[in-house]
Amino acid sequence: MKKKTTGLEAVNGVFEISLGVNGAKRTFAVKNTEFLLDALRRYGYKGAKKGCDTGDCGSCTVIFNGKPALACLIPAFTAHGAAITTIEGLGTVRDPHPLQEAFVEAGAVQCGFCIPGMILSSKHLLDVNPEPSEEEIKKYLDGNLCRCTGYVKQIKAVKAAAKKLRGKGRVSGV
Amino acid sequence: MPHATVVKPANLKALWKLLPSISPKRKYLAGGTDLVTGANTGLNSAETWVDISDLKELRGIKETAAAVIIGAGVKISELEGSRLVGRWLPVLHAAIPHFASPSLRNMATIGGNAANASPCSDGACALCAEKAWVWLELKGKRRKLPLAALFKGPKKTALKKDELIIAFEIPKWKHEGAYLKLGPRSYFGISKVSVAAALEMDGGSVKTASIALASVAPVPLLARKTADYLAGRILNEENARTAAALVKAEVSPITDVRSEAAYRREMAGVLLARALGRIGRRGENL
Repeated sequence: MKKKTTGLEAVNGVFEISLGVNGAKRTFAVKNTEFLLDALRRYGYKGAKKGCDTGDCGSCTVIFNGKPALACLIPAFTAHGAAITTIEGLGTVRDPHPLQEAFVEAGAVQCGFCIPGMILSSKHLLDVNPEPSEEEIKKYLDGNLCRCTGYVKQIKAVKAAAKKLRGKGRVSGV
Repeated sequence: MPHATVVKPANLKALWKLLPSISPKRKYLAGGTDLVTGANTGLNSAETWVDISDLKELRGIKETAAAVIIGAGVKISELEGSRLVGRWLPVLHAAIPHFASPSLRNMATIGGNAANASPCSDGACALCAEKAWVWLELKGKRRKLPLAALFKGPKKTALKKDELIIAFEIPKWKHEGAYLKLGPRSYFGISKVSVAAALEMDGGSVKTASIALASVAPVPLLARKTADYLAGRILNEENARTAAALVKAEVSPITDVRSEAAYRREMAGVLLARALGRIGRRGENL
């Protein structure tokens, strides 16, 4: 019979959750009061940055079940069974994702704190819209704040990455 | 809280069966986006979280002959791409780009947005203008309210303990819509004032009107006098000016960290005139 209710019980305030992170199966022990961002960082995924911790800055953006979401607002226990991509899962230094290449080439990075979130948001934008206009890029990156730059080079980088991805026929690029 | 639990029922029947067996210190959890931002919330605020994101009855956007039905668990980003929303709900469609940020729209649900009962809610304001009804269920018993009647004050609703928002039912009526929001920046800001206008047009005249405003009253406000005034009148500059003056008398804004009462009142009129102008220009009266 199909189970009608799934549940999790915390033992001494700790839930054990199973999830996929960057394609690998992981088990996290998370506190009942903990948010996903803190759990990810504790388990070594420090590419997800802690900026505002209130859902305003976008630095903690991860791809959660296929779409960008803010890890600082996701109760960690709700990630049980979820598939997550962090910036660590997008590319490596030796084999960067075209978005990562484009951000470096365009000089779109100053302090770098907002970049993981910005790249993950951009990745989803390019997945659903391989040829976005400048206006569409601006609107899509609206929740990813940068305090160093004027966003000009980041928008340029997203455009360049879109071109690279179209050229490679690699639109969905993880 | 050492005995914390999370339950995630798959349907409403399972939910109502389950509730008596769990801690009375329980809360529903949907998109979770308001958990850290509201007062007295956070993950310490319940012993048992009733995660409603699997409830199949809360999913999907459907239509009947007379209405569009939006499940309470529908994410804002699902509304964005919905053909039915695009066709029948012009005010809601226009409001979506103003709703938080793209990533938050992937998380937040339309039901949670209403349950949070924020006076500045873009979703609730737009749905009120669309003449939405809300379906509630408690232990298998359903009731239906005009959405505006759900809101009793800032963060206060007519929901009884454990009662759940199931869906929104929006009647199909032929209308034009506009949604204008004034915030600290064009997008991703909390509004100082928002105006939602839905007009059923007959040539250059307004047949019926429904006007809602956010952030200028303790609840998302239906401006009934202003809407009544517009009904049956030609949509021209003079009538738009009178409507703007009327709406300024209907709002009851406060001064807070986001804006000042007098400015909000003034801008409620300005935004309404602009919204009417936007709709009027489509018919070339304004």
